[in-house]
Amino acid sequence: MEPVKAIEMKDICKAFGSVKANEDVNLTVYNGEIHALLGENGAGKSTLVNMLSGIYTPDSGFISVYDQEVHFASPKDSIKKGIGMIHQHFKLVDVLSAQENIILGSSKDGAFVKRKKLAQEIKKLSDQYGLDINPNKKVYEMSVGEKESLEIIKVLYRGAKILIMDEPTAVLTPQEIKRLFEIIRNMKKQGCAIIIITHKLNEVMEISDRVTVLRKGKTVGTVNTNEVEVQALIEMMVGKKIDLAITKEEIAEKELLMKVDGLYVVNQDKKHALKDISFSLYSHEILGVAGVAGSGQKELCETIAGLNPAEKGRVFFEGENILGKTPQEIIRLGIRMGFIPEDRLGMGLIGSMDIVDNIILKDYQNAPGMFLKRSRYHEKANRIVNRLDIQTPGIFYPVKKLSGGNIQKVLLGREIDSDPRVLITAYPVRGLDIGASLTIYDLLNEQKRKGVGILFIGEDLDVLIDLCDRVMVFCGGEVMGIVDPKKVTKEEIGLLMAGGRMGEGVRHEVV
Amino acid sequence: MKWFSLKKREELPTKKAWIIRGAAIVLSILCAGLVILLLGFNPLVTFGEMVKGALGSKIRLTQTMLKAIPLIVTTLGIIIAFKMKFWNIGGEGQIMMGALAASFVALNFPDMPRALLLLCMAIAAVIGGGLWAFIPAFFKAKMGTNETIFTLMLNYLAIKFVTYLQYGPWRDPGSKGFPKVADFSQNAILPNVFGLHVGWIIALVLIAIIYIFMNYTKKGYEISVVGESLDTARYAGMNIKSIIITAMLISGGLCGLTGMIQASAIEKTLTYSLSAGMGFTAIITAWLSRLNALASLFVCVAFAVLLQGGAYIQISMQIPASVADMIQGILLFFVLSSEFFLQYKVNFHFKKAKGVA
Amino acid sequence: MKRTKKVLSVLLIIAFAATVLLTGCGGSTGKTDEATTVGFIYIGSKTDGGYSQAQHNGTMAVEQHFGNKIKTIVAENVAEDKQAVKSTAVNMIDQGAKIVIGTSFGFMDALDELAVEYPNVTFLHFSGYKMNDKNFGNYFGAMEEPRYLSGMIAGLMTKSNKLGYVAAYPYTEVKIGINAFALGAQSVNPNATVSVVYINSWNDPANEKAAAESLLAQGCDIITQHCDSAGPQLAAQDAKAFAVGYNLDNSKVAPNSFLTAPIWHHEKYLIPTIEKIIDGTYVPESYYGTMKDGYIGLAPMTNLVPEDVKKKVEEVQEKMIAGTFPVFVGPIKDNQGNIVVKEGETLDRAGIWKMEYLVQGVTGRDN
Repeated sequence: MEPVKAIEMKDICKAFGSVKANEDVNLTVYNGEIHALLGENGAGKSTLVNMLSGIYTPDSGFISVYDQEVHFASPKDSIKKGIGMIHQHFKLVDVLSAQENIILGSSKDGAFVKRKKLAQEIKKLSDQYGLDINPNKKVYEMSVGEKESLEIIKVLYRGAKILIMDEPTAVLTPQEIKRLFEIIRNMKKQGCAIIIITHKLNEVMEISDRVTVLRKGKTVGTVNTNEVEVQALIEMMVGKKIDLAITKEEIAEKELLMKVDGLYVVNQDKKHALKDISFSLYSHEILGVAGVAGSGQKELCETIAGLNPAEKGRVFFEGENILGKTPQEIIRLGIRMGFIPEDRLGMGLIGSMDIVDNIILKDYQNAPGMFLKRSRYHEKANRIVNRLDIQTPGIFYPVKKLSGGNIQKVLLGREIDSDPRVLITAYPVRGLDIGASLTIYDLLNEQKRKGVGILFIGEDLDVLIDLCDRVMVFCGGEVMGIVDPKKVTKEEIGLLMAGGRMGEGVRHEVV
Repeated sequence: MKWFSLKKREELPTKKAWIIRGAAIVLSILCAGLVILLLGFNPLVTFGEMVKGALGSKIRLTQTMLKAIPLIVTTLGIIIAFKMKFWNIGGEGQIMMGALAASFVALNFPDMPRALLLLCMAIAAVIGGGLWAFIPAFFKAKMGTNETIFTLMLNYLAIKFVTYLQYGPWRDPGSKGFPKVADFSQNAILPNVFGLHVGWIIALVLIAIIYIFMNYTKKGYEISVVGESLDTARYAGMNIKSIIITAMLISGGLCGLTGMIQASAIEKTLTYSLSAGMGFTAIITAWLSRLNALASLFVCVAFAVLLQGGAYIQISMQIPASVADMIQGILLFFVLSSEFFLQYKVNFHFKKAKGVA
Repeated sequence: MKRTKKVLSVLLIIAFAATVLLTGCGGSTGKTDEATTVGFIYIGSKTDGGYSQAQHNGTMAVEQHFGNKIKTIVAENVAEDKQAVKSTAVNMIDQGAKIVIGTSFGFMDALDELAVEYPNVTFLHFSGYKMNDKNFGNYFGAMEEPRYLSGMIAGLMTKSNKLGYVAAYPYTEVKIGINAFALGAQSVNPNATVSVVYINSWNDPANEKAAAESLLAQGCDIITQHCDSAGPQLAAQDAKAFAVGYNLDNSKVAPNSFLTAPIWHHEKYLIPTIEKIIDGTYVPESYYGTMKDGYIGLAPMTNLVPEDVKKKVEEVQEKMIAGTFPVFVGPIKDNQGNIVVKEGETLDRAGIWKMEYLVQGVTGRDN
């Protein structure tokens, strides 16, 4: 039987001002197919699917759904045609129950809610696709995985047969990802067409039937997943050959740089965010920090950087206790510590200001006089832009208009330009694509070679194992152990992250 | 079925933005014209009278400038606070307290040499207005109180306090029982330069100073960073509390200076009606200036033209005050809503019927 | 779509340009007639139901009297800051005004300065004290006279012997009125007392009403006021009590409480004065109109006032109109018990306007 063409997008063009986000893009998705949309950040994936979901209208080209040409003026039109979009950031109301979220904004059934009928329908959908959801549970009580399921039911309830998922795995744990993939496969069996946007190659290989790769707004090609190698996909994505392997150089020369001793931190709710944290950071090493999000990583970074008060403990930096000092005092003391916070635009940089104004952020206080001497920093800004190959129209360009990878490069560039002894990096590759991530790893390795001690807060265990010399595992604000990644498996680290104790085979390194 | 929808826009090219703004002004004129017509006046004559009334002769131009000067100084003060995202709605009160402090000096040292007396009055006014802004800034910095309500309430406190003084302890014994504070001595009155009180020079100088301050000094930079993100300011090691307090001292100080200029050059005494709503008007002008000190010059002068033109047609054409206010309101409404259309795009769905089917 | 927008914007620009051009050319509003232009500046709206409306009543009477001989221009809602007043007055002069009349106390200093700047314009100011000897005069009225009469009505009609007084600010003009009212009441009812509440505003209808309600709750059965709105009269009506208004005859606004009100007849001063100014015979003065002049008086007493009360009041009113009944005659004690006007002494205008006390039987702050 000839497969049914669910979606056909042909010669789609879309420009924002002078930027061509999509140029002659083609995409065809069949019923019963899982179709991955692959591309680096800014390749035009989101623009493309936003046109499918009625958020944008294409400048030219045509879209047809089930062989019928459509012109969407709003997301409602798109929903009517059976297209459902699941956004990366959940669009749920926290204080409402699953059931209430499902009917919210749905124009079905008129103004009154027939709860009983609704509950039946939800039950039917859940059974059909293997989704597990309690209709009366409030959203704020749900885990991330449950929220994802709820989002899916929400679009299914509205009659979606074509599902678009924007980076659905970004916030899920490995177990939750497994479950999600099961659900997706179920939907495929039921004849749905599914489009998954992602830049995680292993997921593409695992779940998709076909892949369409976009690069710089254009379609590079569509291939069958089982006929293609990962390396080839990367090449299509990036446009050149890239060695995916993260290098790790062992450098024997080690010197103690920072020693954290018995650190306790209390959060706003008077609960311990950090309990008795002790570890040492040496030169020429990358010390990874693994842990479920919210295990105290943020507090650790901010406390060391002087942004957060500690309850007790000591942090020795080159022999001096810097705990309790304000960032201002730390800067004034000439302590060379770089900090890449998790929230780049909310903490590390000022989005609306240009590169120069961001470069002077931590330096301006050291210059004498009351005036900002910006011209002095032009050279520095240019140097950073060149050295890190930052793609920008110029050094007077607002940072927030740069792509995610380039934003991170500005931040990292500023921090390493001050020749730090210690570099604290919190999720430095979050949201970045492969190319950009690899650049960041290279930059960190380069710093390591120079003798910098790097604290690397990560989320991808594969990366932590490949990149770091040692991995410190956090759970609930406590250090569960510091392990040598060469000697442990991913599963063992996972066990520690979940609060498991040191068992056989997991060597606890005492420092 | 909806026949239009709104979408947040990406940043617009400058040229397009100005076309939208221009269109807003044209539309507002057409709309106001229609209203005027419906009320039985000739819109062409009315607008002509407004322009003539604001710019048509030296006397009228002077009146326009007299309205622009205090507005500029106050707007500069508001700009600094707003740049920090500190919503200073307390310009009125700060103007009053500045005027009060300046009047205290003027009334107690009437015989001081003129230059010295004026300088002391200005300093007192800056301190007076600054302190009145310091109170909410202090509580915001230390306890995180909401500055909007705080500054708003302080307005009434200041105005009522000056009213109390005017009707009570500061009443001029020579006023034969009428509620009036004594007039300033000649030395306490700002001199005229080219037929306009020296406030215009003060305003121009302040525009330059504030522009440089906000764009080229460390403090100005810090204020902008604090306004953008408290976390970033913390991260950069800035002393946020001190920045908030300093900025508000300057913001309130400038409003206070307005009070001194008005008390000295215009009222020549202290009255409770001296602030004349400028603290609120300046919020509009500060936004229209997009918090840019240089732009505030043009915006405030344009606003003064509108005010003087409106006042003038009331007299010359005997248009009721409410209609003159309405014209101003319509103009403002369009100009402000054009800022909305700069951020959102309206899509009309005329093609809808054939499209979806 | 894009093209349509462009065309539209071009059209709009043309429309705008046309507007500017046409108005620029066609603005000939030359005045060649002989009428004298008179500008009136009000603090409120001419339909405010109080102070400014009373002023405007006078203005309308002036218009009616002079007909084509004068042209009046009116500015409403002019704030009491000098900038607003001066720019309004300058705009009027710009329009050919030869006489500018400011009708609120806060306009005084502005008019004083303008009189120097515009020597060919005559300025008249209501309720102030500044003047010069060329082109700036002021006028006011002996409101204590009708207030005394209204006090008599209240004194005769009260059952609780408690009278309520809603007042704006505690200063001389207001105190004169309170004392006159109290003396009037006590002249016919020695047990009458007056309770005063200051609202610290001239025009705040909600507060005025609330103040009256609090007085009524304290047992006052007749309310009077020295503030602008009908609020106190309405409060009295709601409480089935009586009220003496101010400025306007509000017999239709509060038909079940309104007894009378001390009111102004501004035209009685303005008509002859404007005539003199036109003739060139005006000499600035500080006019203080009395009931004898007809400048002030009581609004017609309504049917709520019993006939015998009316009769008693009219007797005194006649004497006042004849000019033989001064209000402040010694001995008068203040509410601290000090003698403030000695036996046999009668206060003249200057003496009255030094009043800083409240007389016996009045409770309320005196500063």
